[in-house]
Amino acid sequence: MSNKVAIIAANGGLFDAYKVFNIATAAAASDKEVAIFFTFEGLNLIHKQGMQALEMPAGKEHFAEGFAKAQIPAIPELVEMAIELGVKFIACQMTMDVMGLTKEDFVDGIEVGGAVTFLEYAKDAAPTLTF
Amino acid sequence: MNITKTLDVKGLACPMPIVRTKKTIDTINSGEVLEVLVTDKGALSDFAAWAKAGGHTILDQKEEAGVLYFYIQKA
Repeated sequence: MSNKVAIIAANGGLFDAYKVFNIATAAAASDKEVAIFFTFEGLNLIHKQGMQALEMPAGKEHFAEGFAKAQIPAIPELVEMAIELGVKFIACQMTMDVMGLTKEDFVDGIEVGGAVTFLEYAKDAAPTLTF
Repeated sequence: MNITKTLDVKGLACPMPIVRTKKTIDTINSGEVLEVLVTDKGALSDFAAWAKAGGHTILDQKEEAGVLYFYIQKA
């Protein structure tokens, strides 16, 4: 049985962030090794400024109240928790080049890599998830 | 039952109860018991799955006034 979970984060909205970081922290808290590959809009989720103001999908803004009422942690808090639990963040070099971003634009401790870096990690992971 | 530590995560939503439980169980010794108080209804199945993943034993659980109590013996 694999003890590795591989996640691709390819979207940059608030809901996407929760899907990615909830699964990642839950897996890490269950003694799994976890790596997330952030690509295209997904880079937003670990961007120092971007992650502070992630948007809800259009027309779903009314869920803000539900988030507050259910005491859902803020995304930066979940990111910090994920790092603390040892989740590995891999930022996509190619997307960074396209968007003119550098490693300093992201939270500390990330790794920058290409698709092969992720594929090599994910080859014996189960499950591999895409958000 | 000899409870070594109690963790109160009432009001917190998924995945925080599991995350906090993981961090707390890391601070006790094998064989010791952690009591967790949680109101997240997802915990009912999540704690069972989480304990199984880590090899821990849920010695007992109960629900009182909307609060779930888990007694987890560390593997």
